[in-house]
Amino acid sequence: MTVPMREGQRKSGSRGAGASPKRKPSGRRKPSQKRNAPGRFATELVGRVGELRLDYAKSDRRTIIAHSYFTTPWKLLPPIYLDDTGAAYTLLVNPSGGLVGGDHLSIDMSLDRDAHVMISSPSANRVYRTEGKVSEQHVNITVGPGAILEWLPEHTIPFAGSRFRQILHATLAPGATLLLWDAVASGRIARGERWAFTDLENEIRITTASGSSLLERYVLDPATDLSCVGLAEEWNYVASFYVVNDAVASEVWSGLESKVAAILDTRPGEVLGGVSTPPVPGIAVKVLARTAPDLTSMLDALWAAVREGLWDLPPVSLRKY
Amino acid sequence: MTGIGRLLYSCMPHMNTPALLEGLRFIDTFFPSGGYAFSSGLEAAIQGGAVKNSDQLACYVEDLLRGGMSRREAFAVKWANQAGSDGDVSLAVAVDRELDSTKVSRESRMASRQMGRQVMRVAADQLRTKTVLGEYRDAIESEQAPGHLAVCFGLTLGVSGWEPEATVAAFLYQTAIGFVSAAMRLSPIGQHEGQRILSEWFPLIDRISRETDSATTMSSWSPIQDIYSMRHGRLEWRLFRS
Repeated sequence: MTVPMREGQRKSGSRGAGASPKRKPSGRRKPSQKRNAPGRFATELVGRVGELRLDYAKSDRRTIIAHSYFTTPWKLLPPIYLDDTGAAYTLLVNPSGGLVGGDHLSIDMSLDRDAHVMISSPSANRVYRTEGKVSEQHVNITVGPGAILEWLPEHTIPFAGSRFRQILHATLAPGATLLLWDAVASGRIARGERWAFTDLENEIRITTASGSSLLERYVLDPATDLSCVGLAEEWNYVASFYVVNDAVASEVWSGLESKVAAILDTRPGEVLGGVSTPPVPGIAVKVLARTAPDLTSMLDALWAAVREGLWDLPPVSLRKY
Repeated sequence: MTGIGRLLYSCMPHMNTPALLEGLRFIDTFFPSGGYAFSSGLEAAIQGGAVKNSDQLACYVEDLLRGGMSRREAFAVKWANQAGSDGDVSLAVAVDRELDSTKVSRESRMASRQMGRQVMRVAADQLRTKTVLGEYRDAIESEQAPGHLAVCFGLTLGVSGWEPEATVAAFLYQTAIGFVSAAMRLSPIGQHEGQRILSEWFPLIDRISRETDSATTMSSWSPIQDIYSMRHGRLEWRLFRS
């Protein structure tokens, strides 16, 4: 009998060198096995299989996309450089407007040694109602030695009747840093639609070079007793923020934890949050918020505190609004 | 028949008396696990105004049992019980590490590990013919295994001949007792009220013990309780260590 817990990571492909940051993304790379999987074009297949592959590398003082590959509905824009750190800012663009039942989107991302990448999305990740298949998003991230990934996508909005499963696995090399924000809304709140999805599953696993890991996995099915939303129903947004690096001194984490705890208390009644040290070197933050502006401003404040605490860097504007 | 007796009998109608006695001492509050020092975030929830009376206490704990523990601790207990029955230390270690990964709050993680280690030390020392317990204690001491309470408890009762459902029920009962006990020290809840609340949780504990499916994956949803557990370390005054 085996314990079906530790799922294998998809291995990153090899990456070449010499691509410029202005290189136009193309689909000329060899398609992955997933694209050619049996049944891909079978008539019973519902939804799209969209792949996005991004391999980042440090070139001179900038981080560039060394290789890329994508299929519909993903689109790729060249990275933007928001400050003089050379960090590549990439928006995850899905112009189709969201996920429908049967969609299977994947992101495979690798950061080579000392690369610095910021990731976000132009708008919330909408998951539409389905009467059948689950909408899935699988993300595999490898962060190389000394590299930094700031993963800050907009929140997910699961519509009434939607089914969504996200699996995000990140593997960190020695000295790598990951800032990971993940947030979900209760639904289309302005319509009075709250916690009305059919089911929602989310798994985030961050594994460090030592093999230790942090795991957040929840399975919600509001129609059942043991998987209902429970006391969290009175809130509209639930978010997690993880900051992990195995080379940062413990006193730095302690100082950051104190700063974050103070920030979390700045909106009593509108935001309820906690911060602690997880089973991997870093900090873990949980946030409940009433409104999207509360959530967004909290993320901005937390992110700014982390950038200052770890690298003495000022906040940057992601230029979305 | 008392509440816990009825609960256990429903899960394990053919339990033999020596096995029952062997396991009961690990459930009893007389057992020196140190559990009296931990509130699992309840102290922060009370100070934060989330739990003001016995009804809110009942909802808070029921929500934790349902969303937070039914597929995490209960899952771990069931697998550890199996590991104990089979003498499979590596299985227990795998479950223990997975459980550790999910414990993002330092205080609840350390509380669970401290109580688990205490259970395993006593169990390995006093049940010496059950070699798997000694092996697991060694795995904890050498930091091969975190030694979480759910795993040590499940392993010990599995070795003692308890069935998985009864072991889960006993673990959740012990957890519930811990909350009532902490609440009585933190708020104006008396013993009779505590017993009433406890009995209201029995149907849920019974269902969780039966419905926890070890063929699924470990998961947990208790954001409010997680946050109060995280906030506990920053309270200005504290009676409890978590």
